[in-house]
Amino acid sequence: MMAQGRATFHHELADLEVAALGGIDLVAGQLDRTLEALEHQDLELAALVIGDDDRIDGRYLEVHQGVLSLLALQAPVASDLRLIAALLHVIKHVERMGDQCVNIAKILPLAGPPPPRTGQLTGRLLQMGHVARSQCEKARDSFAARDVLAAEDLVRSDDEINALNREIFQVAVGMGEDASMREWAMHMTFVARWLERVGDGAVDIGEQTAFLVTGLFREFSDSSHPVT
Amino acid sequence: MSAMTIAEAPATPLLATAPSPAKHVDIRGLFAYYGEGRALNGVDLRIPAGEVTALIGPSGCGKSTLVRCINRMHEEVRGARVEGEVTLDGHDVYDPAVDVVAVRRAIGMVFQKPNPFPTMSIRDNVAAGLRLTGRRGTRDLDERVERALRDAGLWEEVEDRLGHPGVSLSGGQQQRLCIARTIAVEPEVILMDEPASALDPIATLRIEELVGKLKQRYTIVIVTHNMQQAARVADTTAFMLDGELVEHDTTERIFTKPADQRTEDYITGKFG
Repeated sequence: MMAQGRATFHHELADLEVAALGGIDLVAGQLDRTLEALEHQDLELAALVIGDDDRIDGRYLEVHQGVLSLLALQAPVASDLRLIAALLHVIKHVERMGDQCVNIAKILPLAGPPPPRTGQLTGRLLQMGHVARSQCEKARDSFAARDVLAAEDLVRSDDEINALNREIFQVAVGMGEDASMREWAMHMTFVARWLERVGDGAVDIGEQTAFLVTGLFREFSDSSHPVT
Repeated sequence: MSAMTIAEAPATPLLATAPSPAKHVDIRGLFAYYGEGRALNGVDLRIPAGEVTALIGPSGCGKSTLVRCINRMHEEVRGARVEGEVTLDGHDVYDPAVDVVAVRRAIGMVFQKPNPFPTMSIRDNVAAGLRLTGRRGTRDLDERVERALRDAGLWEEVEDRLGHPGVSLSGGQQQRLCIARTIAVEPEVILMDEPASALDPIATLRIEELVGKLKQRYTIVIVTHNMQQAARVADTTAFMLDGELVEHDTTERIFTKPADQRTEDYITGKFG
């Protein structure tokens, strides 16, 4: 029989997890609007993305405070302690992923409309964005299901994003003689970089899933020491 | 183990300078009974020397019975009996040739409720165990009383009133007095059965700090219902349930990633 106090604690902990994973949904929504603004040069929508980041920041503060309260008041241990530690990481990644969307939204008016014959590059950016969005969903679902295999599979889609990022860089480098075109292309390499960071955030959340289940933290891929 | 081996353990110098005489305890296949009722069901546990081992588990799981088996207190209960093996550094505590008094001198015990001898002074409470073990020289007694009170962190609070009754002290002081009485006879193992459960948070903290210091010289086993206390003071923690030892591991491991689901469920409050 569960003691009443612990039952309340476990409800609060479950609510905190819902709040933190809901933060990933907020990021996914922001990513949708960001990609739409990028595709259609919708600067009003980009401004909405910037303004709406407050909701993600608010969610960060809410979860952060919840984590502190449960640590201070409930002295969690074992799987409860691991969950609380993981949620603190998850919400930090969520906040950073939201910031990447803001970075993209801010650069769109600076970059200006895409020059002619740049659809190849824009298409790759949108492809990156869609992969990143599916990574967000997978990170959320694998965490909620405590599914380490699904979390580890995030690395596969992250490889796809990384490959697109390198392709975009190569395309941008070969953009031709026109200075304004090159400037736009350079801005788009930033966009690619920020989308790649959104994907990294999803992988980081996946690593927290593995920690939560196994009690051991490990990086899914060692980008500091890549295998050559 | 022969009675002589335990009883003739060499006297040890002051805590700060002494090499650790702590010894490990091995429990193998231990069954304990109260009449027909079985309280322990084949417990195997190695208690490391010079460390603090916490025993946790719900009420009635057998943790107090287990510590009482280590120094043969269990057999004092009418109808109680023990099967299995308990050794202190390889010497059988239950060997028929062993003097039970010598066992209890080598393996001291501190109880849940402070129990100073009510008619004795502070000094005589500490000296009582020494007198029982035959140390009667006044100078030697005074030195040992002071040393025990210092090691128990109580000397500076009582040095000017050693003749006052032990029961005149606060609850926390009385418990440290009982610890002084225990360590005065220089045991090798100290068993503590919920030593701070009757104390306020400040007195509890003093006891926990004391446990941390005493483990430099003694092997300590502490029974506690307070899991945060186990997490704070113990190097290893053993979880017991229904007379069985479920899991024994480093305290960090037990409280972050226990191996057994029953341990997980108990410490996270899913039952109990």
